[in-house]
Amino acid sequence: MRAHGSDGYLDGLTLAEVDCDGALREAFERVGGDSRADFLRKATVGGAVLLGAFALTDDADAAPNPGDAAILNYALTLEYLQAAFYTEAEREKVLRGNARKAASVVGPVERAHVSAFRKVLGSAAVKRPTFNFRGATENEKLFLKTAVAFEDLAVAAYKAQAPRLKAPSVLAVAVSIHSVEARHAGWMRRLSGVLPAAQAFDDAIDKPEALRIVDSTGFVAAAAKTKTKKKPRFTG
Amino acid sequence: MRGFTLALVVLGIVSGTALIAAKLYSSRGDSSGGDVAAPDSSTLPAPPTAAFTIPRPRALSTPVGTTRWAPVLRTTSVRAAPRRQARALERLGPVTPEGTSNIVPVLARRADDAGQLWMRVRVPALPVNREGWVPRVTLGGYTVVSTRLVVDLDRFEATLYSSDKPVFEAPIGVGTANAPTPRGEFYVRNQLSSYSSPFYGPIAFGTSARSATLTDWPAGGFVGIHGTNRPDLLPGRVSHGCIRMRNADILRLAELMPIGTPLTIK
Repeated sequence: MRAHGSDGYLDGLTLAEVDCDGALREAFERVGGDSRADFLRKATVGGAVLLGAFALTDDADAAPNPGDAAILNYALTLEYLQAAFYTEAEREKVLRGNARKAASVVGPVERAHVSAFRKVLGSAAVKRPTFNFRGATENEKLFLKTAVAFEDLAVAAYKAQAPRLKAPSVLAVAVSIHSVEARHAGWMRRLSGVLPAAQAFDDAIDKPEALRIVDSTGFVAAAAKTKTKKKPRFTG
Repeated sequence: MRGFTLALVVLGIVSGTALIAAKLYSSRGDSSGGDVAAPDSSTLPAPPTAAFTIPRPRALSTPVGTTRWAPVLRTTSVRAAPRRQARALERLGPVTPEGTSNIVPVLARRADDAGQLWMRVRVPALPVNREGWVPRVTLGGYTVVSTRLVVDLDRFEATLYSSDKPVFEAPIGVGTANAPTPRGEFYVRNQLSSYSSPFYGPIAFGTSARSATLTDWPAGGFVGIHGTNRPDLLPGRVSHGCIRMRNADILRLAELMPIGTPLTIK
């Protein structure tokens, strides 16, 4: 699957080429698979995690469900993407005015989401992918365009997964984040000059479509290789 | 006859109204008695307790002394100015002689007349301190570091700073008069370990610094920071340009110093 960025520089990368450590694909694959391998993986990864998660609450109705952990990991991956994007935009200090203000408010929120998911998932949390935003954090117009895409994606992805959550206590968290992402989407749309809420209802975006969208950005990159076991040939 | 018919109609209306009223009353007042129970706030279950809480958002911390680096994604010309027609200074490839990603510190940004972004980068080439401009599209994502390593050739001492605070100090060996360690601004670009060479100790860091006298050295004469099997020679001018440390020191440095750390040799 090829990316088709409207600004040219996004062309030519695929998720398969750049996501060498498989972090993103791994997170997607944990959601909704039907194979036995998927089931076993969910059972292994999810059960222990959610036992930990539910130990934090007094929700007697909550039953540990392995699939919920996979969905949380999927959400974490999208949160990684958003948090890294806004954090880099804040650091690069290119944005001005309302866009800068928005990044400085939304960035901390997305980082808080990441922090919460990582804490509840513990060692089962999917690892943080490496990102290359390819200048999208260094140009205000590109920043806003990308922010709208990310926020719309997050809203639609949460919407798709929320009905699949088994535990009401996890659903309560998901819904509380979903509404915040919707506020972000409206804010970024407003800053971009896009009508914030033109539809009577929104469609959900399921895993394959979300994967295609993330794929098309080319923002998930292979980590730089900085270590090796080769014998040195320095001057000595 | 007309009076009887009218009486029947009135009776029917009254009876129907009474039945509707009774139905409505029973629905509101006794949910168990009706087929369809209208919701009452007192009968709704309490909302579920959240499985976990989201922490309070925190503003981005901006530690002092941060720099950023990016890997070179494809071979490109390093130009003297941020435009395609500017003089080419060097060719910059994506891989180091050690087979790792070729990373470069990113120092500044500028857009050309066409709106294309150019980045000013430090180049691992002679003469020392060489910088130039490359298109943003030839670089990967940024990594931020808040450390810097200062090597003092006169005091034979290496000091690592984290957010401008010293966190590591060690005596070192440096280049002899015939193969001096170059002075200038460089960076740490890779880490080698698990090789079998007592001469280099357990860990060696590759840097962007190049010897001005050993240019024909294998792999280009790059200066490393590494351990040694001759700690008795330290500190002093004992190397071919590399910065040597005791093995315990290089291991400790490896725990503290990320790749991409700027290196000042003075």
